[in-house]
Amino acid sequence: MPVKVPWLKGVFPALVTPFVRGSEAVDEEAYRRLIRHALPDVDGIVTSGTTGEFPYLSRDEQKRLVEIGVEEADGKPVVAGCGASSTQEALALAEDAKEAGASAALIVTPYFLHPSDKGVYQHYYDIATTVDLPIILYNIPQVVDRYLPRTVVEDLADLPTVIGIKDSSGNLTYTMEILEYAGDRIDVFVGHDEVVVPALAGGVNGVILASAQVYPEVWQEVIRMINAGQVDEARGKQREVQKLSRIFCRHGGGVAVKAALKMMGLDMGPPRKPLKSVGGALLHETRAEIRLELEKIGKVPMKGTAFAYPDGPLSERFGDLEITAEDVAEHGLRIGSGISGEGINRVQIDLIAGGKETPLGDAYALQMTYPLHRREALTTILEPALTVRPSTLLLPTLPQRNLRQANMVYGPAQSALGRAIVDGLEKEVIPEEAVDRDVMIALVTIHPRAMDRHTLSKSVHAAATAALREAFT
Amino acid sequence: MGYKTDWFNGIFPALVTPFTAEGVDEDAYRALIRFVLPHVDGVVPCGTTGEFSYMTQEERKRAIEICLDEVDGQVPVLAGTGCTTTRDTVALTAWAREAGVDGALVVAPYFLKPSFNEVYDHFQAVDGVGLPIVMYNIPQCAGTHFKWWTAEGGLLDFDNTIGIKDSSGDLPFMEALFEKVKGDVSIFVGHDEVVQAALAAGADGAILASANLIPDLWQNVYRATQEGDLKTAQEWQQKVQKLVRIVVRCGANQACKEGLRLMGVDVGDSRHPIVPGGAFRREDREELRLQLEALGKIEKSSVTYLVGDKEVATDLFATHHTPDPVTDWTMKVGEGFAGPPFQELAHVDLLIGLKDGPVGRAIERSLTEWGEDRGLRTIAGRPETLLVPTVTIRTAEQRKLFERAAAGVKLAIELSIEDGFLPEPILDDIALIVNAFVHPAASIAKRVEFNNYKAARHAIRKAIEGRPVVEELKAEKAAARHPFRYAP
Repeated sequence: MPVKVPWLKGVFPALVTPFVRGSEAVDEEAYRRLIRHALPDVDGIVTSGTTGEFPYLSRDEQKRLVEIGVEEADGKPVVAGCGASSTQEALALAEDAKEAGASAALIVTPYFLHPSDKGVYQHYYDIATTVDLPIILYNIPQVVDRYLPRTVVEDLADLPTVIGIKDSSGNLTYTMEILEYAGDRIDVFVGHDEVVVPALAGGVNGVILASAQVYPEVWQEVIRMINAGQVDEARGKQREVQKLSRIFCRHGGGVAVKAALKMMGLDMGPPRKPLKSVGGALLHETRAEIRLELEKIGKVPMKGTAFAYPDGPLSERFGDLEITAEDVAEHGLRIGSGISGEGINRVQIDLIAGGKETPLGDAYALQMTYPLHRREALTTILEPALTVRPSTLLLPTLPQRNLRQANMVYGPAQSALGRAIVDGLEKEVIPEEAVDRDVMIALVTIHPRAMDRHTLSKSVHAAATAALREAFT
Repeated sequence: MGYKTDWFNGIFPALVTPFTAEGVDEDAYRALIRFVLPHVDGVVPCGTTGEFSYMTQEERKRAIEICLDEVDGQVPVLAGTGCTTTRDTVALTAWAREAGVDGALVVAPYFLKPSFNEVYDHFQAVDGVGLPIVMYNIPQCAGTHFKWWTAEGGLLDFDNTIGIKDSSGDLPFMEALFEKVKGDVSIFVGHDEVVQAALAAGADGAILASANLIPDLWQNVYRATQEGDLKTAQEWQQKVQKLVRIVVRCGANQACKEGLRLMGVDVGDSRHPIVPGGAFRREDREELRLQLEALGKIEKSSVTYLVGDKEVATDLFATHHTPDPVTDWTMKVGEGFAGPPFQELAHVDLLIGLKDGPVGRAIERSLTEWGEDRGLRTIAGRPETLLVPTVTIRTAEQRKLFERAAAGVKLAIELSIEDGFLPEPILDDIALIVNAFVHPAASIAKRVEFNNYKAARHAIRKAIEGRPVVEELKAEKAAARHPFRYAP
């Protein structure tokens, strides 16, 4: 008879595996630190899961992780990832896990070669009937490239040692189907960080998540709220970590989690090769985004942001371009300024336009040869390969301290400025004869903490529209 | 039982349909047909490339009528009559039969996903019209990929089936067709990238989007294969491979239309929601143009450059994009973009201008005052070219990759001198400032070099030709999508 175990509920982090830089050896001390960090807010832990880079770990290493887990977990259950491509190896890993004191084995759908449904069933059947250890099935089509078939799960649920399934697909139609056909006999866990609330509302018992070592307390709250029927509150809570959860799920997995932990002072080292700490699946730009999100939820402190929007007479604000108020007057340069938005969304644009033969032409060309460190000027485009006319440089007035700040300038700000210029052409604010004759430089000041690209775009568009209007009328 | 006709062989272009605001652009359509006719064994109006799914039944009828009239019996006309419903398909096929087409190309009913027995009944109903029918497999659009047994069953069972067009590019599927029905009906390949392979394996002909552009070159492939000269056929396929990959993978209809316009055959743009700079991206347009030049489909002509006091006549690959004369060399701005992959993409901003203008002065001053510190250097003397890294170079690995970017930019300048855009007599009068971007995570050196070559080559032409023009900006402003505008 199938048995549900009382402990299989709540929040389980799928722990990353720390490695030493250079040697790539497992860093046991770091692993202990990680477990101690997460333990107060979790109901158990999962060793050598997908987040833990299990395919890159030897059998001995995986056993050692379970041993450490059991030593550190203070009696809380330790679920041992025992995933392998072959049944033989999965069996051996499960034997090891039992010896090391694991509470259950998490066994991924066999991967790489493509066994039939019968083969998949046999894989789990062999393990369940050979090793005296509870088994949790594991569906993760993102890396296995196939679903664990529902009909197979339905049959496996009858085996007495199969106690649960982790569904990382994020596909709620699959989750609901499993709940429908096996939920009476085994516990269903959601393994996709982006759909925790809907999965819990749909009836799953708990979560095994990469993000549960970064913000386990958030998921505890979400579970408590769902159990208390406070669905609105639970949605709000999930919304706070939605972007981070998406980054963990889709932009680097364990690598992204390690980046986040490092920002929080828990250095888990690099991933094993061929994965890269950054620049591979996890882009530099996305890593910058992780820090911002961690700042938002209070996991890392915000840095000071003393700065000022340019002020004083407009004609004197173009000193960086070596253009004086006298130049503006003498060469009939057109200037205009616009401000839009509130708080961190406040944007100021000081714009100067004029003929290529004036000092502005020289300033334009010089900017292209003089990347002001962290204040590089860029040609304004609507999108790549679609430069606006008159040709316009966007020059940030504040140094870009990280890639995220740079992204705010070169993404939303640049495209919104471009759109405002083309709008100006359309509305004939910018005269047709200026298209080839003139160039423009827009000094753009954006709050260093700006983070909402949509709002920022609106602010930039409004400020640029005002600046163009002032300059050309 | 289906049967094999004597006319369904060889190269058939899937004609694009030129549109006016109101309907089919008859004059442009006739001009297009006259353009391809000397080189083809038949024509296909209202195929996928002809945007049949964006046309009303009346427009399709009109296009087929124009086609029949212009072709005037010189080659067979195989009309696209497939619709989503059986009722419409039967009606249009029956109309086409009366109109006098030689056969109908009938796509698998699409969007809603009928099961194979429903698809079978569909073709059986169309067979009842009595017109020779070509079944059409194009899973990329229709969403249904025939299995060999459904194709075989349909092909053999229906009296009026004369062939199948397979645009999937799925060669195992084609081989199964050869095994089952070769000789009973004609088997046509519809995927431009595998034409030579399919013909060599036994296909009877090809219905192709790119046969709007290069029907004569496809005849080279077809004839060489017929004569058993596989080597020549392979060579021709390889020569056109890049062009046809751009066409097939980047939205064939708009790609063909822009290609034709570059060749002087103006057939307008695709209907919305296909937009210029969409699936057929701007960098694809530049590459298509270069391929058409390499294949002799765009020829050089004389354009006047007024540079300072000089008047220089230069032979270059001018198109409708190219102003004549090219004036005001104070400072021209150009931008180019090329990828993938993401980490190795290139984004080049450049200025071309007079040496005694802002560009020349900026180069001189920057080299004197901060050139060394900021990694600036000239990479060419004629024209004097200053290369500026857009992103600060920090590591030796980044420096090495930036060298590859520099090599790409240099090649772009050399080839632009060679192709006439940067003519010899003005090389001492102008200078270039080139900002090149290498992502800090870039690894693949060859892609960095090649992407920077492409982006720089495009940027040089765009600067000289004053592109994008204001009309493009206005037309594309609303839909433009900056990749960094959105959160991850």
